[in-house]
Amino acid sequence: MDVFGSFALILAFVCALYAFGGGIAAIITRHPLLIKSARQSGMATCGLIFVSTLSLVYLFFSDNYSVAYVVSHSNRDLSTFFKVAALWSGQEGSLLFWSFLLAIYVFSVLFTYRNKNGELMPYVGVILAGVQLFFLTISNFVASPFKVLGVANAGGAFDLVARADGNGLNPVLQYPEMVIHPPNLYSGYTGFTIPFAFALAALLARYPGEKWIHLTRKWTMIAWCFQSMGILLGAHWAYAVLGWGGYWGWDPVENASLLPWLTGTAFLHSVMMQEKRGMMKVWNVWLVFVTFMLCILGTLLTRSGVVSSVHAFAQSSIGSWFVGFLCIVLGVCLAAYFKNKDYLKSENQLDSLVSRESSFLFNNLVLLVACVAVLSGTLFPVFSEWFTGQRISVGAPFFNKVNIPLGLLLLFLTGVGPLLAWRKTSTESLLRNFKWPGILGLLGGVMGFVFGFREMFSLICLILCVFVASTIVQEFYRGARVVRIRSGASWLASCVDLTLRNTRRYGGYIVHFGMVMIFIGLSGQAFNKEVEKELPIGSTARVGNYDLLLQSMDQKQEKNYVADRMIVEVLKHDKPVMMLYPERRNFPTNQESGTMVAIYSTLREDLYVVYAGMNPQTGLPTIHAFINPLVKWVWWGGMVVVMGTIVALLPNRAAVVVLSKAESPAHAPEVGRMHPAQVTLREGND
Amino acid sequence: MEKRKAKFGLLALAVALTAPGAQRLLADQNDRAHQIGAKLKCMCGGCDQSAAKCYHVGGTYSGPCDTAKGMLKEIDAHIAQDKNDEQTLQAMIAEYGPLAYVEPPKSGFGLVAWLMPILYLLGGTGLVIVIMKRWRKRPAAVSGASMAAAGAGHASVNVTPELLARARELARRETED
Repeated sequence: MDVFGSFALILAFVCALYAFGGGIAAIITRHPLLIKSARQSGMATCGLIFVSTLSLVYLFFSDNYSVAYVVSHSNRDLSTFFKVAALWSGQEGSLLFWSFLLAIYVFSVLFTYRNKNGELMPYVGVILAGVQLFFLTISNFVASPFKVLGVANAGGAFDLVARADGNGLNPVLQYPEMVIHPPNLYSGYTGFTIPFAFALAALLARYPGEKWIHLTRKWTMIAWCFQSMGILLGAHWAYAVLGWGGYWGWDPVENASLLPWLTGTAFLHSVMMQEKRGMMKVWNVWLVFVTFMLCILGTLLTRSGVVSSVHAFAQSSIGSWFVGFLCIVLGVCLAAYFKNKDYLKSENQLDSLVSRESSFLFNNLVLLVACVAVLSGTLFPVFSEWFTGQRISVGAPFFNKVNIPLGLLLLFLTGVGPLLAWRKTSTESLLRNFKWPGILGLLGGVMGFVFGFREMFSLICLILCVFVASTIVQEFYRGARVVRIRSGASWLASCVDLTLRNTRRYGGYIVHFGMVMIFIGLSGQAFNKEVEKELPIGSTARVGNYDLLLQSMDQKQEKNYVADRMIVEVLKHDKPVMMLYPERRNFPTNQESGTMVAIYSTLREDLYVVYAGMNPQTGLPTIHAFINPLVKWVWWGGMVVVMGTIVALLPNRAAVVVLSKAESPAHAPEVGRMHPAQVTLREGND
Repeated sequence: MEKRKAKFGLLALAVALTAPGAQRLLADQNDRAHQIGAKLKCMCGGCDQSAAKCYHVGGTYSGPCDTAKGMLKEIDAHIAQDKNDEQTLQAMIAEYGPLAYVEPPKSGFGLVAWLMPILYLLGGTGLVIVIMKRWRKRPAAVSGASMAAAGAGHASVNVTPELLARARELARRETED
């Protein structure tokens, strides 16, 4: 099966090469058969990558320990569930998995538009094939996952050998989220290839109008949604596994995942300027280009070891390949832009400074400043080493100080932007739209201050969260009221109806609401408490309002590890609340250990308990407990964001024009001459 | 008898106050160590995290890794010598060097790191203002609204169904979200 997978991977490379070269020839000659063959070759590339990936999965499932990658990342006792995760737990497999996800996107695009957009698709096919070609080059010739184990015999030739068992999977990866976090994040990274391909293709082909925007909107939102889920799942994994009590540490690899998310978010907003007003065309094209390049840069940071990272398991020396690819992409983008920049001229003017257009400009500004600040902070240790010979650290406090004010500014714009009208907003409209949200925001601030929100940024965050939430509720209320008057339906039904009529707008509001929930969760960090204590059996440790009584210790033998467990009774005001079982897992295969945090989670706070280990001097177990307020809001907010994105992806429920009876029914009036009063717009599925 | 009772009462009160007080003192000391540790980089060499929060993968203990725990104990020792936070921090810097700061120093080349975000924000704001000014100066394109205004203002203008449809489409595009 290793030969089969390897052969499929080589064939995929050959097909991608043809899709790329043949595609360029097809663009030049415009020969229909050449266009078709290049497209089909692109689809065949995807099929062969699927086959190759499934071969590697089969090698894991069949415990084939003659393949080096399987030996390094699996063992016989590893559960089937985690054998799937082993596919992307190392450098070579994760690159193949990257190609696999990209192939899903590429196949979907080539198949969906096989008979559409004939002028644009050959360019799109070539660009996608070019990206695939790069990753297939790496997987075939630099970091192949199908390398077999061998020993040199007396004649100098190599004999194949097979190990009885593998080294096992890294313990910190043996957690359910690790099975879903990387696929989500990679789906985000790879998904941004599609808008990149369409944007570059539209520029190269001078494709008329905003059609490429309409074509890619859905793909961008899908990629953005996956990226959001990937980031949040990664944060939850860090929270539940690493045992340090937090979920975001501004590690370079975490930052790398945030960068394309920030530019992708900026693009999803600024793209509306181009759709509605024909403005920001250059900006949008470059936002898409930069987002794709940041995805590649993120991969470079994750795998090259350029910057120190806790994600040390994925470092290697393939960074120079990514630097080369990044340079090529930048060169192609610059060349395409300078050759065709006249194609990107804006059509409209700015009517007023107080308008939706201005709010989008500032929204983009804040997102981009945050992105560049995070990027330069992440790379600053490298720059400082170049310029001064000393590596200056840039840790979490720096990123917090820089990004908290920017985040709050963005939160403010989240509330303001949707309430401003396109073109111009009148003073009356401003007062009408902002009166109640403003009052409620300030009231929320006063309440927060009374109930102990004394930290400045947390208090501002609370005020803004109430303000933004109020603007969203107000928008739903106003829209639903109109629907309700017309239809007589309940408030809930009216809200659903309203949302389904304009999924993009109201889906966007739901996403914004999810972001508000995330910000509420983030504001809780200012009130974290923790305690670390050696705890004899029968004694208690106190954290916040909780007493943690260590009842006993036990040991649990599982197939792949042995767990030392604390049995902790949680008491609140002397009343038992629940039992928690924090554990340390020891994996004999690779002589490593990992934690399993026990969390009692409520909307108010998380009680987060870690068995921090046994003190070898005293022989006493150490408990490390945290009170982390409002953390649950972050995870629930993430779910709301995903839900909102799904809603925004749904097609609008069609509006149906129903003509009312004219006073003189003898002749049915022509629509063109009809007085507006004679037309009743009844929107719905009827 | 009354005197003895009073003495005993005072002693009991002192014990009652001192025991939680001592605990509180210990907890405060621990908090201080973590607060100072948050300003120092963990010297484990595997990450850029602070000594209070280093969660380097592969650390023997969860939470702060072994190196970070050692640094926190050193901080504890300095605090026990009645040093204030700044003196403790400087003592740690004297031991590990200026690179032990978890955030860039606000002097020398480190200052560049702090200035960059401010420059980005100022430069970006300036750019946005320039763009807005240029957009404001640009001549208005023919839009749905202007076409409708033309239709309303001049009765003689022949509003064909095509023109009306185009105006409607433009108005829809610019007003719908």
